[in-house]
Amino acid sequence: MGITILKPGIQCSIQDLGRWGYQQFGVPVGGVMDRLSACTANRLCGNADGEALLECTLHGTVITCDETISFALTGGGARATVNGCAVDYYRLIKMVAGSQLQLMPDPHGCRTYIAVAGGLQVPLELGSASTYQPSRIGGLDGQPLAAGQFVPLKSSGDLLPGGRDIVIREDGFGMGNWKAQVQPMPHVKDTVVIYCDAGPEWDWFHDSAKKDFTGETFTISTQANRMGYRLEGPPLSLREKKELVSTAVTRGIVQVTHEGSPIVLMADAQTIGGYPRIARLTSQAIDLLAQCRPGTKIQFREFGDEESVIHYNRIVEAMKMVKVGLKTL
Amino acid sequence: MILPRIYPIHDQALTIEFAAAISVEANAKAISLHHRLQSAPFAGFIESVPAYGSLTVYFNEPANNTGVEALLRNLTATAAPEQLLGEVRQHLIPVCYDEAYGPDLKDVEAATGLDRSAIISLHTGMTFRVFMIGFVPGFAYMGILPTELETARKKIPRLEVPAGSVAIAGRQTGIYPAVIPGGWNIIGRTPWKLFDKHMETCSRLSAGDLVRFEPITSETFEQLSWASPS
Repeated sequence: MGITILKPGIQCSIQDLGRWGYQQFGVPVGGVMDRLSACTANRLCGNADGEALLECTLHGTVITCDETISFALTGGGARATVNGCAVDYYRLIKMVAGSQLQLMPDPHGCRTYIAVAGGLQVPLELGSASTYQPSRIGGLDGQPLAAGQFVPLKSSGDLLPGGRDIVIREDGFGMGNWKAQVQPMPHVKDTVVIYCDAGPEWDWFHDSAKKDFTGETFTISTQANRMGYRLEGPPLSLREKKELVSTAVTRGIVQVTHEGSPIVLMADAQTIGGYPRIARLTSQAIDLLAQCRPGTKIQFREFGDEESVIHYNRIVEAMKMVKVGLKTL
Repeated sequence: MILPRIYPIHDQALTIEFAAAISVEANAKAISLHHRLQSAPFAGFIESVPAYGSLTVYFNEPANNTGVEALLRNLTATAAPEQLLGEVRQHLIPVCYDEAYGPDLKDVEAATGLDRSAIISLHTGMTFRVFMIGFVPGFAYMGILPTELETARKKIPRLEVPAGSVAIAGRQTGIYPAVIPGGWNIIGRTPWKLFDKHMETCSRLSAGDLVRFEPITSETFEQLSWASPS
């Protein structure tokens, strides 16, 4: 049994929590862009956090199954229908063989995670199922999914007590009566606050660059993908011309090119970099930025104020609730 | 500032910087610490990544920044037991320096004032150190090239450098493990496969390895080539 990708949409790839242990050989960690949403989807299905799932960028994805499956949708960038009827994100859904799950355009968020109860049957490469397209590692053939591709499932989707109790309606699907806390997804027209800390080369930057970085608004350019987001805004200049000797970089690092444009490194970030690093995002900010699409305005703010700590604690509590909630089903 | 400098690059990653420069001594310290952490990992240790003068340590719970920083300070203050240092691996890598495989040899001749045989004898005449692997999977940054061979990067990078291309830039030399864009000057090509996701360690070279290049003819290259049908 398995699922078939009828249309991949803008991009649909198999990801998990990343390929760890190979950065010393230059292999990026990769994995899901928004870890919080991906873990929530897996938890809703009763899967382990590290189970492979689908990451769909924006809309257009259409999926069918050859047997009844239970699955959960989280994140954003789309709204979903099953057999033409609207279905909820953050809720377990069951659909019968031959049903169609479709992702339609929506202005909130950027990436939808589709976890299937029981998990996807994908061979691990270098310890992970995550698709790293530039080196063709992971996923199916190291590439994002294409129309017509079949992804087998590990086992029947009826593992969860919550899934067994779902009543299938006449139109071939049903939804669980329990919902995880919905993470608010940024609207494309919002100005999103991104919390960060000073980067290792913060002091290399001109005072005006430091002021602009936290005071001005930046826009996510169209050069934004799984490797990084290039931002448009005031150019950030160094106090003096200085070269950084290449050293490790990772997701959430904001590096500044010689022209002064900031690039936020994302999931598929290379392991080593040579640009000065003005800031580093908190893990929560990286997840939030992963849900922002090109054109969205962002404002960097230093982590540590009361508001950001409250926000962080709220996320930690929400994740605990997803597990507790499942146990009480 | 307390030396060596230790700073976070993520909520769960710290870099310990032995030198903010390309230095054999600092690189050796980073790799020694890398081996020690791999042989005797602390609770929560995930992996460590050596670079020119630094080591970056990735971890998760139960480890935290404060605890890992203290541990790294403690480890660098004490000498490593010999069995934890790891062996130094040596490689003799075959390279064909024919112009068909080294399209930038002419430019290097013009830039350095050396002729082709002098370039080859300098490049094959010394042992290089693998400082780190990065840029793309399996790309080894090696050095330090003699000043006579120092060149600038190409003004316009190539969009596709053939896999196995041996190149130089600044006082570094490296091998492109896959077909990728690149701006270094290509002086030859090795038939060796440097990166293979099906190999257990995936990368033929590791940071800290020693490398010498051995000149081969184009006939030998064809015989050894992994790209040619066997």
